[in-house]
Amino acid sequence: MAYNGKMFMEIIKTKGLVKDYELGKIKVRALNGVDLSIETGEFVAIMGPSGSGKSTLMHIIGCLDSPTEGDYYLDGTLVSKMRRNELAAIRNAKIGFVFQSFNLLPHLNILKNVELPLMYAGIAGKKRSLRAREILDSVGLSDRLRHKPGELSGGQRQRVAIARAIVNNPSIVLADEPTGNLDSTSGGDILEIFEQLHSLGNTVIMVTHDAAVAARADRIIQIHDGKIEDGD
Amino acid sequence: MAISLAESLHIGLADIATRKVRTAVTLFGIVLGVMSIMVVLAIVNGMNAVTLDWMQQRGGLNKIEIEPNWSYDYSRGGEATLSIREVDYLRSQLEGVEAFNPQVMSWGSIVQYRDQDFDASTFGVYPDLQKVEDWGLEKGRFINLEDIRNHNNVIVLGSTVAKSLFGNRNPLGQYVTLNKQQLMVIGVLQSKYWKNQGGGAFSGNVLEYMNRQAFVPLSTMIAKINPNLDITSVEIKVLSDEDISKIRRQIEGVLLNIKGGKDLFRVSSAKEEMQMMQKNMMIFSVIFFLIAVISLLVGGIVITNIMLASVKERTREIGVRMAVGARGKDILIQFLVQTMLITTLGGVFGILAGLSVLNVVQDFLDITVKAAPNMVWVALLVSASTGLMFGIGPAYKASKLDPVKALMED
Ligand SMILES: Nc1ncnc2c1ncn2[C@@H]1O[C@H](COP(=O)(O)OP(=O)(O)OP(=O)(O)O)[C@@H](O)[C@H]1O
Ligand SMILES: [Mg+2]
Repeated sequence: MAYNGKMFMEIIKTKGLVKDYELGKIKVRALNGVDLSIETGEFVAIMGPSGSGKSTLMHIIGCLDSPTEGDYYLDGTLVSKMRRNELAAIRNAKIGFVFQSFNLLPHLNILKNVELPLMYAGIAGKKRSLRAREILDSVGLSDRLRHKPGELSGGQRQRVAIARAIVNNPSIVLADEPTGNLDSTSGGDILEIFEQLHSLGNTVIMVTHDAAVAARADRIIQIHDGKIEDGD
Repeated sequence: MAISLAESLHIGLADIATRKVRTAVTLFGIVLGVMSIMVVLAIVNGMNAVTLDWMQQRGGLNKIEIEPNWSYDYSRGGEATLSIREVDYLRSQLEGVEAFNPQVMSWGSIVQYRDQDFDASTFGVYPDLQKVEDWGLEKGRFINLEDIRNHNNVIVLGSTVAKSLFGNRNPLGQYVTLNKQQLMVIGVLQSKYWKNQGGGAFSGNVLEYMNRQAFVPLSTMIAKINPNLDITSVEIKVLSDEDISKIRRQIEGVLLNIKGGKDLFRVSSAKEEMQMMQKNMMIFSVIFFLIAVISLLVGGIVITNIMLASVKERTREIGVRMAVGARGKDILIQFLVQTMLITTLGGVFGILAGLSVLNVVQDFLDITVKAAPNMVWVALLVSASTGLMFGIGPAYKASKLDPVKALMED
């Protein structure tokens, strides 16, 4: 039963994850048996060449997609066999996803963008707005609430996206090349925010091409041809 | 648990505000369709109001008339006349009758007062005429049972008859001459008035002919004034809670019996007649209804296509919403509510457009059209359901998008 304690700490556990894409008659194997274990509060960097399956893995970890084969346990629950609606609920409650291309809704102001996960969580308007303001304040954007994403710089947009990712207090924060579209200064700011999140006890998983960025993580996972090469 | 309807309405409205041109295009067909529906309903409504009003003026819907059957082949023998005894027998066979008025009529009888004369239609009637025709008195009294029993020489004048003969003088108690008989004027009937709003051939007071009538007791007419006359028509008013078509069939049966199986009389009920008139007018409404359905169908197909384009254009947005936790049904409701908002908005414009063209339609087609409050509800219901019907496909498609693929779209 001593083992149980360790199970509890293990927020992500995958066994033999396989993901195949059908391209016409050709089958592309994006993931080829991924065994992975990440503990609560860890800051993990995922690296690997282009096309190695990093984003595919992130999508499965983020419950945006299901594996073709294999098991994925999130917080001790088997999610790899869940249906669409169950996955949506998990994404809403436990996952915060930050994309390379921000993925903000251009017609909504940034306050509304950040409120979005709260809305789908069924939180009432007033409370939602308060919480979103609080988070936007913590990423230094409280003076831009009514601005549309198009009126902000790339760095600011990514900060909005991070605010949106963490507004629901998720169990894990996933970021797929979050600085990929940014210059080095604003990229540095963004990384600082992730480090801060980590220092506050959040589990952070980040895909990056930058070895210097990866060096700031607790652990680096290397992916090659859909397989994890070495971790430490 | 999906997001609330208020939330979906909010998203939908915000989205409509940002895409005004698209919304306007989408609206067009619905506006046309709803406008036609408004016109159809107003026409049907107008027709119903006119026929009902007409029937009311003629003594209401509970009236049954017995008249000679003009399509009877008289070479087969028989005459479309009834004796007093036959009429009394008929009356005794019927139940649920409020008023019963057998009458004889003489065309072009000259009513004289001193040097004035008037070419009136004079009738020999029962006291019940007043009830059957729903006809009040302006002054004096109407013929009563005593007048009938005693063959009294009394007469009741229509308003035009009284006016022509007496001008502003009081006719009551004065004597007029009809077919050499001196008759005392005991009453003057109220003026009957009904004007078809559409105008055309029926402009003017359609009921003026009634004001040119005069009434004497049936017995007096047959015994003294015009012995050659026979009873050719009976007007009956049934109690309002009776089954009028049942009573009509009963009357037909009794008459056939009396006349040895010959269908010498036509028995018609006002209610059934009106239903017939309305049924005939339904054909008219059906045509307009088809126009409305076709424009709604076209409008609906336009909506489906625009919404499909919208779903395609907004694929990434859908992906983002799904990524942060939107369920399939959240997306479905979002698009469906939005489509229904647009079509309902179109409905509102259609209602306004419809109401504003009603006068034009009335003048152009020369018929009475009439707006009613319930038309608005029908129109709103129709426009919202059009949105539902034609928006469900695109909304369903949106709800089934794969989040990862949707996010990669640009
Ligand atoms: N929707 C898809 N359909 C078909 N093949 C796909 C799809 N998504 C990814 N792939 C393929 O799966 C493999 C892994 O792709 P993935 O996006 O996970 O790579 P990546 O490591 O994120 O690359 P990059 O660094 O360029 O972002 C690639 O060969 C890619 O072409
Ligand atoms: Mg990638």
